[in-house]
Amino acid sequence: MCSGNFAEMELTRRHGDTATQNNPRVIIIGLGNPLLGDDGIGWRVVEQLEHAIKNYKLRIKNYEFDYHAGGGLSLMERLSGYDDAIIVDAINTGRAPIGTVSVMSLDELPNPALGHFGSAHETNLQTALQVGRALNASLPNQITVVAIEAQEVYDFSETLSPALADAVPRAVESVLNLLHKQLDSEVAHSRI
Amino acid sequence: MQRITIDPITRLEGHGKIEIFLNDAGDVENTYFQIPELRGFERFCAGRPVEEMPLLTNRICGVCPEAHHMAAAKAGDAVYHIDPPSPAKKLRELLYSAFYVTDHTTHFYALGGPDFVMGPHAPVAERNILGVIHKVGLEVGGQVIQCRKYGHTVVEMIGGRKVHPCTSIPGGLTKGITKEQRDEIVSMGRWAIEFAQFTLKLFNDIVLSNKAYVDLILGDIYTHRTYSIGTVDENNRVNFYDGKVSVVDPEGKRIGKYAANEYSDWIAERVEPWTYLKFPYLKKIGWKGLVDGKDSGVYMATPLSRLNAADGMATPRAQEEYEKFYATLLGKPVHQRLAIHWARLIELLYAAERWVELATDPEITSDNFRAIPTATPTEGVGIVEAPRGTLTHHYWTDERGVVTKVNLIVGTTNNYAPISMSIKKAAQNFIKHGTVVTEGMLNMIEMAFRAYDPCFGCATHSLPGQMPLQVTIRNARGEVVDVLRQFC
Repeated sequence: MCSGNFAEMELTRRHGDTATQNNPRVIIIGLGNPLLGDDGIGWRVVEQLEHAIKNYKLRIKNYEFDYHAGGGLSLMERLSGYDDAIIVDAINTGRAPIGTVSVMSLDELPNPALGHFGSAHETNLQTALQVGRALNASLPNQITVVAIEAQEVYDFSETLSPALADAVPRAVESVLNLLHKQLDSEVAHSRI
Repeated sequence: MQRITIDPITRLEGHGKIEIFLNDAGDVENTYFQIPELRGFERFCAGRPVEEMPLLTNRICGVCPEAHHMAAAKAGDAVYHIDPPSPAKKLRELLYSAFYVTDHTTHFYALGGPDFVMGPHAPVAERNILGVIHKVGLEVGGQVIQCRKYGHTVVEMIGGRKVHPCTSIPGGLTKGITKEQRDEIVSMGRWAIEFAQFTLKLFNDIVLSNKAYVDLILGDIYTHRTYSIGTVDENNRVNFYDGKVSVVDPEGKRIGKYAANEYSDWIAERVEPWTYLKFPYLKKIGWKGLVDGKDSGVYMATPLSRLNAADGMATPRAQEEYEKFYATLLGKPVHQRLAIHWARLIELLYAAERWVELATDPEITSDNFRAIPTATPTEGVGIVEAPRGTLTHHYWTDERGVVTKVNLIVGTTNNYAPISMSIKKAAQNFIKHGTVVTEGMLNMIEMAFRAYDPCFGCATHSLPGQMPLQVTIRNARGEVVDVLRQFC
C-alpha cells in the first residue's frame, strides 16, 4: 500500500468543523449543463439568487454558491464541509407540466437517475455520499433538491425556453424559502 | 418477430435505447443500440472566436472536459498555424497526465473494478465503489479520493480551474507554473506512481490470480477481431497528448499512421437510418456492417487499442506491465474487450510516470509558455487520446479566426460499432430458441458497457445521468410480458 495522509484528502473531515449548530454552513449548487438550453436552469436560478442576495443585501450567513456539471463522486466532494445543501437542477419526469418547481429531499427523488445526480461513469450521488460517510467525511445532514421540470434539453443554447424562463423566479423563491427555514430568522425577515 | 427493448435510462427516459429483434426460431436476428443526437452544436459554435472553443467544448462533457480542452487548444494552434513552444506543450501534457490518473483511477474503483472485486455475480447493489472499499479496505477508499484531489490540484495549477481548465489558447497557455508549484506537483506525482502500482497489484491479486476471471477475460463473448487505433510518439510508444494515430490490423500489423490533418483520409462515418449517431470506420478498408475481421473497417479506440497500436510504453514501469500483459494474454494484439480494464491500469501507471517525468523536466517552469500567432487563421485539426478513445476536433474559421464550421469525432463515437457488436454477442449468448436469461443478459451487457465506458454525454454532446438498464420483453404480438431493471 502506498503511503497517504488521510488528513490531506479532498473531503473535509468530520473532526475540525468550524460551523456550529446555530450557524450552519450552506452550499447552494446550480447543477446541469449551461450550454444545453433548459438543462442549464439550475445555473440560471443560482445566478439570479446570487444577484438577488447581493443587490438586496439579504443578510444570509455562511452560504456559498457554486455551479456544477457532474454528479456522483465529484458532486459529493463538492458537498463536503457543509451542514446543509440545496441543489437546483432540471429534471424530466414527464409527469408534471413543463416549468413545475418541486422541492424535495434527495431521498425523495422519485428516481435516482433523474437530474444530474449520478454519473454514468462512476456512481450515483446516494452511493457517493455513503462512500464519503464511510470515510468519515463531513457531509450535509440535509440535501434539498429544487427540481424544475424541463423538456428542451436536446438543443445547444445558452438561453432558456419561455416556459423555463418563467419558472426561474419561482425556483429562486423556493430556494429563499428554504434558506428562510434553514438559516437564522433575521435572514428571512430582511429579504422582504 | 419478437422484439426486446432495453432502455439505459438517463435523466431522459428512453435516451440510448437497445432493441433486440428475434427471428421466428426465437434467436437473435439483430440488435440496435440507438443514441439520439443533440442538435445545433455546429450552429452554437459558429460565429465564436476559435480561442473560445477550449472553454466552450470542455462544457460538452462533465467527465472529461480536460480532453476537449486539449483537443480544442490543439485545433486552435492548427487554425492559427502556430507551433507552441516546448514548455507549453509539456505543461499541457503534464496537466493531461494528471487528469488521466484521476480518470482511470475513478473508472477502476467506481465502475470497472466492482465486477471483479465483488464478482460479476454479486448483487447489483454491492457492485459499486462502496462495495469495493468495504471489501478492500476503507483506507483504499481514502486513497482514491486523495488521488482525485491530487489530479484536480494539478489541473487547477496549470489549467487555472479545477475540472474545467481555461488556460490553453492558440500558441500555448496563458500562464506557467512556479518552482514551488512544480515541487508540489512532483511530490503528488510520485505518490500517484505508488498508488498506480498498488492498483495494478490489486488487479493482479484479485483478477489475474483467479482462473475464473482470467477465463472470463479470455472468453469469446467479448472478443471482436477488429482494427485498433491509438496515438503514438515518434518511437511508436503510447502518447495521450501528441503524435500520430497508429492503425493496426486484427493481426497486429501496422497499416499506417496519420497526422491530425490527415484524419479524413483515414476515418469515414457511416450513417444508418435507425440511429442519429454515425458509425466511424476505416475508409481504406471500407464499411461492411457491424462485423469484425480484416475486411471490415470497424475499429476500436480504447486503452486496449492504444496498447495494440503501439510498440510499447514510453516509461519503464509501464513498459514492464505492458510486456506482462501480452505475455499473460498470449500475444499481441489482444481482442478480448474485458482486457480493456487491465490496459487502463497500465495506462494509469504510464500517466503517473509521465506526470513526474514532465514535472521534473527543467523546461517546465520556463516562462516561454506561449508563441503569439501571426498567420491568418484558416482551418485546423486537433487530436488527443481521451480516456475513452481518440478525440478529434476539426474547426474551420474565417480570416478573423471566427468559427464557421465544426466537426467532432469523440471517443465513444469511435467505439459505436464494437459496442453494438458486444451487445449483440451478449444477447446471442443469453437468448436461445426464444428463451431469455434476462438476468445474465443484463449483467453481460452491463459488463460490456463498463469496459468501453461509453460516454453518451460526449457522443451525443449531452450530460447523461446514471444509467439503469431496463429490459422490456415483448411477445411476438408486441405485448409486454416482463420488465426487469438493474442499475449500471
